[in-house]
Amino acid sequence: MKVQELIDNTGQQMRKGILELCILAIISDEKEAYPSDIIKRLEAAEMIVVQGTLYPLLARLKSAGLLDYTWKESDAGPPRKYYSLTKDGEEFLNGLMSNWQKLVEAVNQSTRSLTANNKEVK
Amino acid sequence: MNKVLNINLGGMPFTIDEDAYDHLRTYLKTIHKHFSSSEGYEEITADIEARMAELFQEKLGNRPIVTLADVKHVIAIMGTPEDFGAESIGEDAPKSDSGKRWEFKTGKRLFRNPDDSVVGGVCSGIAAYFGIQDPVWVRLAFILLTVSGGFGIPLYLILWAVLPEAKTASDRLAMRGEPANVSNIGRIIEEELSYMSKKMGELGEELKAEFSKKKK
Repeated sequence: MKVQELIDNTGQQMRKGILELCILAIISDEKEAYPSDIIKRLEAAEMIVVQGTLYPLLARLKSAGLLDYTWKESDAGPPRKYYSLTKDGEEFLNGLMSNWQKLVEAVNQSTRSLTANNKEVK
Repeated sequence: MNKVLNINLGGMPFTIDEDAYDHLRTYLKTIHKHFSSSEGYEEITADIEARMAELFQEKLGNRPIVTLADVKHVIAIMGTPEDFGAESIGEDAPKSDSGKRWEFKTGKRLFRNPDDSVVGGVCSGIAAYFGIQDPVWVRLAFILLTVSGGFGIPLYLILWAVLPEAKTASDRLAMRGEPANVSNIGRIIEEELSYMSKKMGELGEELKAEFSKKKK
């Protein structure tokens, strides 16, 4: 029970660290992204637990000049904000992405013995 | 029967039960307070309100009125500021500092605790005030005072007379020194509800007794 709790907590910390990267990647993928759609994709990937997490992050990225938004009319209610990457945002995302790839390699290297053992067991 | 209110949440109109409205308002207040010193404060809160409006729409379907259960459901999805507050936004440190000071100011109050009492709840109230897990230690101290100098009983009686009883849920929170914030509200309401249903049950029993008397 205790170990499971620790796993959950640490897993949450890991996800938190790469949440920014995922949000930016989703926005880059959609070109113009509506926050509720970003939430849907993040939830499908089990990246966030509570939806409120997204909004302060978007605000921070926006005030850092990495994101921008435009208002668009919607058929279902009031106008909606659509977020897109700025030039700086694209550069930032590329930088994060290469960082992430390095990290994946580093982690794979450090845990190689574990994954090798696992395969033998299977 | 329940009173309803009409509100505009994120640019969408809703009809909402009064108790649900109070719950929602407290939640939004906590959100506003949490982000009030962050950059982009208005955008964060406006976006969160707009998202909550969407979630209410999805949840309601064809139902006309937002109920307390709907509000609780949506708050669970959005999360409390504590849940996503860990996402550091700019000047987070000084804010949490002032939060602590505020908690300290409103702090704990000394009550008698009727939920865990042997005589008058004085000892368990004192234990809650000083954060002692088990009131039995305070009771032991009183017994020691009584045995060693006879001072315990008069002191107890004075405290019993002077201290107010923790009657409501917010009293009980103040007794334990827990601030009344969003994460506590659910519990407060549950405590209030169980108290109410107990009262209603008693009332029902009384009425039944009256009724059966009349029948005879």
